[in-house]
Amino acid sequence: MGDNPYQDDRGNRDASITNTAGGGTLKASPGTGKAMSTSEAFLIGDTMTGGYGKGPDILYDCTVAVNPGEIAVIVGPNGAGKSTAMKAIFGMLDVRQGSVRLDGEDITNLSPQDRVIKGMGFVPQTSNIFTSLTVEENLEMGAFIRRDDFRGTMEQVYELFPILKEKRRQAAGELSGGQRQQVAVGRALMTKPKVLMLDEPTAGVSPIVMDELFDRIIEVARTGIPILMVEQNARQALEIADKGYVLVQGRNAYSGTGKELLADPDVRKSFLGG
Amino acid sequence: MTDSVKFTLYAAGIALLIIATGMMQSWNTALIIVNMGLVSAIMALGVNLQWGFAGLFNVGVMGFVALGGLATVLIAMPPVTDAWAAGGLRIILSLVLGAFTIAGAILLYRYLPKGRARTLAMIAFLIVGFFVYRAAFDPAKIAIEGVNPASTGYLGGLGLPVLVAWPVGGLLAAGAAWIIGKTALGLRSDYLAIATLGIAEIVIAVLKNEDWLARGVKNVIGLPRPVPFEVDLQNDPAFVDRVTGMGFDVVTASSIYVKLGYSLLFTAVLIIVLVMAQLALKSPWGRMMRAIRDNETAAEAMGKDVTARHLQIFVLGSAICGIAGAMMTTLDGQLTPGSYQPLRFTFLIWVMVIVGGSGNNFGAVLGGFLIWFLWVQVEPIGIWLMSVVTSGMADGSWLKEHLLENAAHMRLFTMGLILLLVLRFSPRGLMPEK
Amino acid sequence: MDLLNAVIALANFVIIPAIAYGSQLALGALGVTLIYGILRFSNFAHGDTMAFGAMITILITWWLQAAGVTLGPLPTALLALPFGILGCIALLVITDRAVYRFYRVQKAKPVILVIVSMGVMFIMNGIVRFVIGPDDQRFADGERFIISAGTFREMTGLAEPLAIRTSQGITLVTAIIVVVVLFWFLNRTRTGKSMRAYSDNEDLALLSGINPERVVLYTWMIVAALATIAGVLYGLDKSFKPFTYFQLLLPIFAAAIVGGLGNPVGAIAGGFVIAFSEVTITYAWKKVLTYALPESMAPEGLVQLLSTDYKFAVSFVILLIVLLFKPTGLFKGKAV
Repeated sequence: MGDNPYQDDRGNRDASITNTAGGGTLKASPGTGKAMSTSEAFLIGDTMTGGYGKGPDILYDCTVAVNPGEIAVIVGPNGAGKSTAMKAIFGMLDVRQGSVRLDGEDITNLSPQDRVIKGMGFVPQTSNIFTSLTVEENLEMGAFIRRDDFRGTMEQVYELFPILKEKRRQAAGELSGGQRQQVAVGRALMTKPKVLMLDEPTAGVSPIVMDELFDRIIEVARTGIPILMVEQNARQALEIADKGYVLVQGRNAYSGTGKELLADPDVRKSFLGG
Repeated sequence: MTDSVKFTLYAAGIALLIIATGMMQSWNTALIIVNMGLVSAIMALGVNLQWGFAGLFNVGVMGFVALGGLATVLIAMPPVTDAWAAGGLRIILSLVLGAFTIAGAILLYRYLPKGRARTLAMIAFLIVGFFVYRAAFDPAKIAIEGVNPASTGYLGGLGLPVLVAWPVGGLLAAGAAWIIGKTALGLRSDYLAIATLGIAEIVIAVLKNEDWLARGVKNVIGLPRPVPFEVDLQNDPAFVDRVTGMGFDVVTASSIYVKLGYSLLFTAVLIIVLVMAQLALKSPWGRMMRAIRDNETAAEAMGKDVTARHLQIFVLGSAICGIAGAMMTTLDGQLTPGSYQPLRFTFLIWVMVIVGGSGNNFGAVLGGFLIWFLWVQVEPIGIWLMSVVTSGMADGSWLKEHLLENAAHMRLFTMGLILLLVLRFSPRGLMPEK
Repeated sequence: MDLLNAVIALANFVIIPAIAYGSQLALGALGVTLIYGILRFSNFAHGDTMAFGAMITILITWWLQAAGVTLGPLPTALLALPFGILGCIALLVITDRAVYRFYRVQKAKPVILVIVSMGVMFIMNGIVRFVIGPDDQRFADGERFIISAGTFREMTGLAEPLAIRTSQGITLVTAIIVVVVLFWFLNRTRTGKSMRAYSDNEDLALLSGINPERVVLYTWMIVAALATIAGVLYGLDKSFKPFTYFQLLLPIFAAAIVGGLGNPVGAIAGGFVIAFSEVTITYAWKKVLTYALPESMAPEGLVQLLSTDYKFAVSFVILLIVLLFKPTGLFKGKAV
């Protein structure tokens, strides 16, 4: 039994009375009360330590940062806390020490939704599109917080991902894996974010589609939006990265430019298979 | 505070309420509350077994309770020999035919190759089977219902002692639960709630319409009793001597004596069910049930057959409701299908379980007593309250009459309020699960 | 053999009543399915919500009738309907603020909300019975028939009459208008789309800046309108009795599940499937068959498959059949 009696459903899975699909899991995590300021960047998660709920820490003094025009990539072995670091920056983790700053402003105390309003675009690893809505409706929902005319942005997204324009009347759930990821990135771009965060955008897509996705991501970065990305495919990701972070067991193990890391013999040996 | 201390305190509190009723209203009223409280506690134990231990959502308690009631008629009433002669065997034969039709359709579905031919064969078989069944059933039904309709018009029962009906009521409910559970729990995600909701309405519809079975809305009255009749006691000189010797009024004493008899019987059943539920909870079986409830995936991975276990506990819990239903009908001395209402026999039991504490057997017992007490007493309290509120109004004013007339409906409102308050401020109930 | 009369009898006793009943069930099921899709639980209080909305409408209708205001041939209740809807919206919004919102903040599991809705059901049931009493209430006025049996006979000279009651006509017209407006709202407006998005993926909706509280508020308002309209139409067509409305819960749930929970198109389809099965199976076919078959084959009995008291059994069996063969319902459920 959990701590919260209201969340105890006694294992009931009766589909005739409860709808388990699409339910929310996001919760606002409180600020750390222990700010850290070690360096400056456009978006920085500064010396973050934390874990889920009251559980043990899984992130220790981790720092991740990205500047305009850059692609920063977080890589590392399975269970190294890559996605956790990204969730910490986005306010989905109970961070007990450290700060998150965007464009000089401390946003450590904001909820994920408020961070979106501040200009962070986030593409989760899974469930990152509205499957029952059409492609176009997905993009419209991405622009929900904007009250101005977003048709121009939508045109830009369609230029970036031409296939989406073709399929704009189709339900997003009917698309292929790579196309779904494009919808997901497009949806996040619709807010005109100041920074884009991608959690394993190439998970589960074929190598060809992966290359194409990376190309698109570079294109997005060229428009000046800083991109912070978690990647499973370390080698390909580091090749396009301006900045790379290798995490091991929740700590910064190595960092540098993508090229430096690719050249580093230690990194090669332990993560890139020689 | 340990659980036993807590339970004792709460139980003492409820006992005080009942004693106060005895002193302020009458001991007869108090005993009526106690007896139905005992029955309610057993029903709550049944639902708690399903919801508390396994997270199964049964909103058809009324149906199982009614099946228990039907059992008392089928077991305890004397058989109507004329009706049996008129069509007893024919009706049983037709029911067997009906069962064969359904079984046959299932077999066709299982063993024919998939495709349109199978569907058509099944539908054709069902339609032919249905008309054959009706052709056999209808004349038998008319014949039976024609036998002295004013007083019988049904097959009657087996004429066995009424206490036999209690376990049989449990069996009847268990059988129905098995059929529902088998269909509703087997799929990828279960839909037990809607299935139980539906079956309960169907059971009541059958009881109301199948006059040959239990006289339908004409009711079966004068069920045999496991305790003496008041009139017999009043005519028994030994009894009269004894109670007058103790300084009681004979009529009151006889009625209290009878009710106490029921109380003893019901308490015995409650204790048996409670002890068994507690033993089950602490047994390896109970631990497994809770393990499944708390983490179904892990339990499945360890090779536990979750669906089979769920079916087991659903059947058990429903059987307990059936037993309680048989006891209640015995207490009433009559079966009145029109009196079964979902709010009273399904949702009120749920209030008892939630208020008592889901997953705690002692909580279910307490909840059963407390909520039943309130259900009975809110009505007079509401009327009293309304008469206070309206005392300042002019006699004969429209509002005053309306308020007084409808005060009785406040009891539903109060039950809802209690449920919401408990859910909000004490979601684990009076006796939280350990 | 007289096919024309057979068709007329069929229309009179099966098709027209089933269309009216189906529309009422569809409106009820739409409410249930919206709550299931967006608030993620089955609302046991829905029948009583319908009763409450209908009750407010009836009280206002009586007041209007007493004041001498009528709609001529149409029932006065139509004039009172907007007030009934407003009353019902007020009730549901207050209920949400006082009861349900707390559980959303707590991120309570849906099954807890189901139990909460049981409490709300008791309270609403109590309120309705307290205010208007548990008995049957009549509030229909205006012309009783669009076409009465007599007029139809005169017009066509057929032996078999066809009567269309005003309430049946109004039910169908209202239901069509309501459904068109609802689908326009869900598919074409920004708020409607945000409701669908929230139902589809709550987290992503939050990350897109959709305000859940607004979505929920709109949902309750729409549900209140749907429930009131369904309740008033049912009351006009049959009669208003609180307990009957509570009992409508089963066919309404059945309709929503048969269609696919969470799917509005499914709710409408489900409503008609359930209504048509109930009416056809409990109708005594003797008359239609006598017309349709040659004299030698004319049936002797009533040819009623099941007595009308078993109509719940019919909805239940249809539900079982659909679920056994198509577990997500006729239309894929679980997404608005």
